[in-house]
Amino acid sequence: MDMSSHPLLSSIDEAPPFPPNHPQLRRLDRSVVCQICKEPFQAPVSIGCGHSFCSSCIRSSLDVLKKCPSCNEPASEGQIRRNRALEEITDSWEESRPIIYDLAKPPPQPQITKKRPAQELNPKAASSSGTKRLKPNSSRETSGSRSQSPTKSRRSNDSDHDEVQNGEVEDEEDDVQELTENDEAPCPICQSTLPISSIPLHIEKGCPPPKSKLNGNGNRKGNQKADWKKVFSGQSIGAKNKDKEVEMKRITKPNYALATPADLRSILSDYSLPTTGDKVTLISRVQEWIILFNSNLDTSHPSSLSALRAKLSDMENSKKRDKERGKDEMINQLGSKDGLQKYAKDKRSEFERLRKEIIERDRKRKEQEEGKGGGKDNAIEVE
Amino acid sequence: MSGLPKRILKETERLMADSPPGISAAPKDDNLRHFDVTVAGPESSPYEGGIFKLELFLPEEYPMNPPKVRFLTKIYHPNIDKLGRICLDILKDKWSPALQIRTVLLSIQALLGAPNPDDPLANDVAQNWKENQSAAIAQAKEWTRQYAN
Repeated sequence: MDMSSHPLLSSIDEAPPFPPNHPQLRRLDRSVVCQICKEPFQAPVSIGCGHSFCSSCIRSSLDVLKKCPSCNEPASEGQIRRNRALEEITDSWEESRPIIYDLAKPPPQPQITKKRPAQELNPKAASSSGTKRLKPNSSRETSGSRSQSPTKSRRSNDSDHDEVQNGEVEDEEDDVQELTENDEAPCPICQSTLPISSIPLHIEKGCPPPKSKLNGNGNRKGNQKADWKKVFSGQSIGAKNKDKEVEMKRITKPNYALATPADLRSILSDYSLPTTGDKVTLISRVQEWIILFNSNLDTSHPSSLSALRAKLSDMENSKKRDKERGKDEMINQLGSKDGLQKYAKDKRSEFERLRKEIIERDRKRKEQEEGKGGGKDNAIEVE
Repeated sequence: MSGLPKRILKETERLMADSPPGISAAPKDDNLRHFDVTVAGPESSPYEGGIFKLELFLPEEYPMNPPKVRFLTKIYHPNIDKLGRICLDILKDKWSPALQIRTVLLSIQALLGAPNPDDPLANDVAQNWKENQSAAIAQAKEWTRQYAN
């Protein structure tokens, strides 16, 4: 089935894999990928057993389960160490990848690209080194992609990486290098000028014409929105941060079971974050912030605090949207026998299609095998 | 849309472009976290020839928490109960964020090929399986013929 036809997948943008006649390069490609997010390492760290992950990935994972995701050995946050060599390797591989990809490309051989139509639409992906690394926090752009978008243009000075990681970061210096979320920029789709921080939401809503002011109706939701706006308007950042310099030191996790909402609010206000919402909201905000903040200390390409705040706000918003859509309702419905039956009935045609697909594919495979003379694949293969 | 992690998008794309033998999965049009899945019964198992419908949901915390998977097709299997719930370690305590949808579906297919009555979810089925295996297998074949075609 042609994936590019799915409306929600059309935005996927990924560098094409190496052709199968270069298994070494495929292996190399895989070796700089984090087993949790399946993306090239960002701020790689190692844990006790020697496995490495993105700092934020393993921190999130250890919050849920104190085991190594790869080997299941007991693990804890205290074991996390920066893996500078791996960071260097990942960076330089990402930089060299487009060049090597071009060198390794066989003379026109359509059957490989045919299989992956979604990627064929992005011939650029092969030539621009920044494309593969599309995490929102990405600040590792090489010079090729640096100028593409205003939000990404922050890193102009590569030589100060090492100062940043072990000392304090001066916000002023950061401000010189980047546009803040409050600056305006053209929407990449409809070209209307908007504050940078509101562009993702604007695009998601299908590019409505910009309103002069976001309407802040709704009770608590409205408050939170206003609060985030305040954070980005520089009010708190500008005023507070000068009196109260944010310490670039790992945040120690509070005991969430014992922490009062006031404790949580005080942590949040230390970092100029919104303090609205009930305890559950506060806890999840503190948790996410600690992951973002602490993992930002594990890289030579740290993001600015304002970029981290924007990321936190994005995460919170998307979570809220998911909730509002009531996605979990479906699961509850499927918990009951009647619900299950109804669902199976409703989806009969869809399942019928999938069923036919399998039968058709099996038939084709059988034909192929017979043609080949019995070189049978094992049905179970693990990647 | 920005809420959907890139990992889910990539997994979906790969799953659909190159799905494992005997397995199909497609996300719903309006919700990319929710998949309709079909799994073919493995060869030389009582479920051979049957095509089983499943439902897979990626919770908000995925990949930190495992996907939720259920059989929608009735199946006679010691590790799958009447409601279609599956007793499989990687869907519970052995879950790891390094696993993915593909590995989960392959494991479920493997579970069909290797029922484990010593770790039962459907007690009556498991007992029957232990006490009178040939009768249990005949029953499983019968259900496959009846419900999974």
